[in-house]
Amino acid sequence: MYDLIPHLINGLALGLLFALLGLGFMLIIGVMEVINLAHGSLFALGAYLALALMAPDGGLPFAFMEPYYALPAVVRYVIALIVGPALVGLVGMGLELCLRRTYGTDPLYGLLLTFGAALVLEETIREIWGSTEYYLPVPKAISGGFIFGDLIYSNYRIYAAVFAAAMIGVLWLFLNRTPYGAVIKAGAHDSEMVRALGYNLKRLRLFVFAFGAALAAIAGIIMAPIWGIRPVVGVDAVIPAFVVIVLGGVGSFWGAVTAGTLVGLVVGLTAAFLTDWSMLSMYLLLLAVVTFRARGLAGKASVLEA
Amino acid sequence: MDYDRKLTTAWITPQMLVAFLLFGTMPFWIESVGLYQYLGVEVMIWMIFALGFNLLLGYTGLPSFGHGAFLGIGAYTFGLAQFNVWPNLWFCLLAAVVVTGLIGGISALFLSHRRGIYFALMTIAVSQIFFFIASKWTDVTGGEDGLLNIARLPVELGVTSFSIEDNVGLYYLAFALFVGTVILLWRLTNSPYGRILRAIKQNEMRVRFVGYDVRFFKWTVFTLSCAVTGLAGGLFAMAQEGAYINIMSLQWSGIIVLMTLIGGGFVSFWGPVFGVILYFVARDVLGAYTETWLLWFGLMFVLLVMFKPEGIAGIWRDLVSRRRAAKRDGEAVSSLAQPEAGR
Repeated sequence: MYDLIPHLINGLALGLLFALLGLGFMLIIGVMEVINLAHGSLFALGAYLALALMAPDGGLPFAFMEPYYALPAVVRYVIALIVGPALVGLVGMGLELCLRRTYGTDPLYGLLLTFGAALVLEETIREIWGSTEYYLPVPKAISGGFIFGDLIYSNYRIYAAVFAAAMIGVLWLFLNRTPYGAVIKAGAHDSEMVRALGYNLKRLRLFVFAFGAALAAIAGIIMAPIWGIRPVVGVDAVIPAFVVIVLGGVGSFWGAVTAGTLVGLVVGLTAAFLTDWSMLSMYLLLLAVVTFRARGLAGKASVLEA
Repeated sequence: MDYDRKLTTAWITPQMLVAFLLFGTMPFWIESVGLYQYLGVEVMIWMIFALGFNLLLGYTGLPSFGHGAFLGIGAYTFGLAQFNVWPNLWFCLLAAVVVTGLIGGISALFLSHRRGIYFALMTIAVSQIFFFIASKWTDVTGGEDGLLNIARLPVELGVTSFSIEDNVGLYYLAFALFVGTVILLWRLTNSPYGRILRAIKQNEMRVRFVGYDVRFFKWTVFTLSCAVTGLAGGLFAMAQEGAYINIMSLQWSGIIVLMTLIGGGFVSFWGPVFGVILYFVARDVLGAYTETWLLWFGLMFVLLVMFKPEGIAGIWRDLVSRRRAAKRDGEAVSSLAQPEAGR
């Protein structure tokens, strides 16, 4: 039992990151009613951009970047955490502009468009960075490990868990304690009414998509030192996001957080016993829950349920 | 997908004859247009796959995003049946069809009461389960290496048998199965059963209220579609002389959706066929110029979804109907003009 504590921490870190990823995904489903299959690619793009902003060897070969790379690692890391998601947010805006034509048609078209976008993003990444695997270097302060009792803990995973939890907290405050959050929630509930009340729905959608994309990028940057950065990492990321949303219930903030944490813990704990098969547990959990409760753990009854 | 009554009651339609003539002669002309025999085999197999897949996407409106998994299951079943049970072509193909259909049927139990986006999400989850099993159950599936050395078994026809070791032989086997699949699927989609599928696509609730057991129909169509996919999978294992997990990934499941849609599976029986041809020709033509051909193909696809989601078949249909409309207008004008001239 005692030996399981590191696995619990790893699972919790993974779970909170899944929750963060899922929340960005859910904001987009809520306001746009689009399943963003490109979410994983935006996640990967965030990680690659952070790599470019962190490391000269895995970065972009621009000569004028030289003085920048001389900055201390901590400063570069903070810059990467801000600039990376901002750039991915811009890409998200571009994607939303393309998506506009599919609103009001079969939701399948939105899904397919984002699948096409995911292909394009993945191939673009391959074109720029190649197919080799990179690891995002992190500042010394959050790398390494420490020994507590008989066990070694990874600093980074604890940092990842705390960071993700803090992001989720900030997101909750933003959605529930600010007027912008109120409009977003209203937009997810009834976009027609939001428009009727005089809000600029087009701008709201653009903003929410950018915001969701930026959240994906943040999750990608935090996850990068754990998972490594490969062009196909997007698929590895988008699937847990689906699972979290379906398991938690579409539209429920705490449902997604609970589901994310649960999925992370299940994957982390099965990894203690069956390393190879741990990811499978997440789908089995999903099937088990959804078979008996189609709307997910905390979802409200909706047309999506059937 | 509305056709003349004559077409919907026929077993063989003029379009089929054109397609069979075109594909039946393909090995004779494919090399003279700068392509190669193996491409024909690949196209043929993916056409069977896409036609089976379109039963779900185009006819019933069920977006399965996990069909690559069933292609893989078909391929693995073919290989395992050949290695462990009986290396006979018909037996192995039948095993691929039956086992894939069975696994599809079991999966459909979890899927058949869902629709729209939730259906898509659940198919992704189900396909990932099979993907993981295939990639980790190394003793049976060979894990990341896949099943190697799957033989192209000779075609036994009772009194005689011929080898399909070369690509032309395999092509004709695939072609024969394609002909059978096309005729069967044409009959199926134009039967009362096919009409119910189309009705489900338009309004599931209404079909339920009319008194049909929608869940049962969705279950059967998913199972059938998986069985056809299993056939394609068995042929695919022979074409590749192996079964590998990469085709079971989410990306390949997406590619089949892309092929079906880009060709116009929503509006036409033949849409998926166009889509598959376009995909493979684009791969070879664009691929000759650039490593990242998929990027350009993806962009093309995004534009198509934005501006013409009915795909190539939709563009063609619009052209035809516009020409017909122009012709009709012309006739109307001339019939109005005639009395004038007679006077």
